[in-house]
Amino acid sequence: MKKVLIAVMIVSTVFMISSWACAAKPGFDSKEIRIAQWGPQTGPAAPWGSVARGTDILVKLVNDEGGIHGRKIKYFIRDDQYNPAQTKAVVKELVEREGIFAFVGGVSAAAGMAVKGYLAENKVIWVGPSTAINEYVFPVQPYLFAIYPLYEDEASILTKYAVEKLKAKKIAFFYQNDAYGKSGLEGCKARMAKLKMNLVEESSVEPGEKDLSSQMLRLKKSGADVVIMWVNPTSATIALKTASTIGFKPQWISSNTLSDYPLMNKITGGLWEGVITGAFALAPDSDTPLLKKYREAAKKYAPEERWGTFYMAGILFAEPLIEALKKVGPNVSTEAVLKQLNSMKKFQGIGPPVTWSADVHQGSDSIMIQKCGPNSTYITLQDWTSNELATWKKKK
Amino acid sequence: MFEMLLIEGLAIGACYGLFGVAVAIIYKTSDVVNFAQGEMGMMSTFVAYQIMTVYGWPFYIAFPATLIFAIVLGMAIEFCFLRPAKEPTVLGLLILTLGAEMLLMGLAGWKWGAEQKDFPFLLSVHDTIEIFPGFALNEWTIGVFVLTSVVMVLLFLFFRYSKLGIAMRATQQNENAAKIMGIKVERVFSITWGMSSLIGALAAMFFAARSVLDPNFMMEPFMRAFAAAVLGGLTSIPGVVIGGLILGITENFFGYAWPEWKPIVAFVVIILIITVRPSGLFTKHYVKKV
Repeated sequence: MKKVLIAVMIVSTVFMISSWACAAKPGFDSKEIRIAQWGPQTGPAAPWGSVARGTDILVKLVNDEGGIHGRKIKYFIRDDQYNPAQTKAVVKELVEREGIFAFVGGVSAAAGMAVKGYLAENKVIWVGPSTAINEYVFPVQPYLFAIYPLYEDEASILTKYAVEKLKAKKIAFFYQNDAYGKSGLEGCKARMAKLKMNLVEESSVEPGEKDLSSQMLRLKKSGADVVIMWVNPTSATIALKTASTIGFKPQWISSNTLSDYPLMNKITGGLWEGVITGAFALAPDSDTPLLKKYREAAKKYAPEERWGTFYMAGILFAEPLIEALKKVGPNVSTEAVLKQLNSMKKFQGIGPPVTWSADVHQGSDSIMIQKCGPNSTYITLQDWTSNELATWKKKK
Repeated sequence: MFEMLLIEGLAIGACYGLFGVAVAIIYKTSDVVNFAQGEMGMMSTFVAYQIMTVYGWPFYIAFPATLIFAIVLGMAIEFCFLRPAKEPTVLGLLILTLGAEMLLMGLAGWKWGAEQKDFPFLLSVHDTIEIFPGFALNEWTIGVFVLTSVVMVLLFLFFRYSKLGIAMRATQQNENAAKIMGIKVERVFSITWGMSSLIGALAAMFFAARSVLDPNFMMEPFMRAFAAAVLGGLTSIPGVVIGGLILGITENFFGYAWPEWKPIVAFVVIILIITVRPSGLFTKHYVKKV
C-alpha cells in the first residue's frame, strides 16, 4: 500500500511539474476566445474588485448578442488579494493552464509591474490597466495598451479649470507622498507655470497617516481658495473632517480615484458634497444610450452589484479590445488584433476617446470634470477635455 | 495658529495616550506587548458600528454593549491564546498576540469587508462648544480630554489603592511570589486583558470618529500609541499619557514647520529620549547586579 502511495505521489508530482512548466497555450479556438483579469476580490483593496466584475457584464452582453464572429468570450477572474506575488501566480496559472488571449484591466500598479514582463514574453495582449503609470507605456510595450489618463494630464486639466472657470486666485496642492501623488503635483505645477502662477502651498501626507491637523492648518494659513488633493480615500476623509474641525472651507478638487461619490459621501459623513473631481467615465447616472444599455445589463446579470464608477471602469477598460476583436473578423490572431489596436482612432465607449498607434500606447489624455451634488448625484461640469500640455504627445 | 496647533496636538496626543494606556496595562502585569491591541479595538468598534447601523439601535445602547463585548473579547483572547501556552517565554507570548492580531483582522475583513465606513459617533468633530468666552472646542476634542483624564485618574487610584490593582502589580513583579501569597494570577491576567481591551475600545472609537472605519484602521494609531507608551515609560500610567501628549504636540509643531518630516520626527525625538532614559521619561530605571 505504501509503495502504491509513493508511486502515485511521484506520478502526480511529475504531472504537476510538467503542466506548470509548459509554455503558454493559445488563447482561442474555433468556439471561444479566452480573456482574463486579476483583481482584489478579498483583502484590503477588495472594494476595487468591482473593476474585474464590471468587465464580466460586457462579456455577458457580447455573448448574449451572439459572441464575436461565432466565437463566445470565456472570461476568467482571479483574486490576487492586492498582492503582487499572488498576481504573478494567478497570471502564470491562467496563461499556461487555461490559455489566455488577452488580459484587461488589472488593479494595482505593483501587481501590473510584477507581470508586465511575463505577459510580453508570452505575447499576451493587455488592454486597459486599471491604473496610470508611465512605466506601462513609456517606452512603448508592443502588447500593452493603456486607456487610463495619466495623473499629470488630469491634474493639469483640473488646475486649468480651477483658474479659468472657478477664477481661483490661490491654489494649494495636498498630495500623497508617493508616485501617484507626485505625478499629480507635477501636472499641476506644469499648468501653473504655463499660467504664470505659483502654488500657495504644497503639503504631503504619508498613506497611513491618521492625524492631518498640521497639514490642514498649513493649508488654512496659506489662504488657498482651492485645494487640489491627490490622496487615497482614507486620507481624503481625514482631511475633510479635520478641515471642518478647524473651520477651513476651500473648494476641494480631487483626482478621479475619488470619483465614487456614494462611497466618498458615506465615509466622509456627507462632507463630499460640493467636491469637484476628474472622471475617466461618464457619470453613472448618465442617460446616453450606451451607458443605459450597460446599466440595464448590470441590473439583469448582476442585480446584487452597486452600479458605480469602478464597476463601470471594468466595462470601459475592455471596450476597445472587444471593438478590435469585432473588426478583426473570423480569422483571429494576436498579430491581427494588435494591428487593429495599433490603428484605433478616437474610439469612444463610456470612457475617454482612445487613440493608439504603433509608436504611442497611451490611449488618452482626456478627462471629464464632475461635481458631487446633493444625495451623491453626479453633476457634469465639463465634457471630455484633453491636456494640450501633455509632454508625452510632444515627445513622439 | 499656535493655539490651534497646540490643541490639535494635545487632542490627538491624548488619544494616543489613552490607547497607550491599554498597551501599558497588559505590559504592567505580564511584561508582554500585546500586538493585537489595535485589532481588538478595531473589532470592538466594528461591533458598535454593527449595532448602530445594521441593527439600528441608538448610541447609548451600542456604547455599553460594545464595552461589554470589549471586556469579553480581551478575556477570551487571553484565555484562548495565551493561557494554553505551557511555560511560555515573553517572545512566545508576543508571537501569540501577533497571531491573534492576524485572526482578528481576517475575521473583520470577512464579516464587514475592506470598504471604508463612516463611524457614527456621539461626539461631533464639527460642532463646537464655547468653554469660556472666545474659546471654543469641538465635541470630539472635549470628549478625548475628559475621557483620558478620567481614565488616567481612575487607573492611578486603582493600581495604587485597590486590592486587585495591587495584586496586578504584585503579579508583574513576581508571579510565583504572588501565587504563594494567594493571588489567583490567572484571574488577574484575565481581568487585565479585559480592562485593557475596554480602554482600547474607547480609544479606537475616538480614532474611528476622526478617520474611517476599516479592518486596517488601527494599525498606524497602535504604532504611535506604542511609541508614546515607550516614551513615557511602559509601566507608568500617567507617564504613558504624557508620552502621548508629547508625541501629539511634537508631530503637530514639526509637521507644521516641515511637513515632509512629520512622519519621522516624533520617532527621532523618541530615540533621543530613550537613549538618555532607557525606561522612558517617567519610569525609574533599575539595574540588576549579578
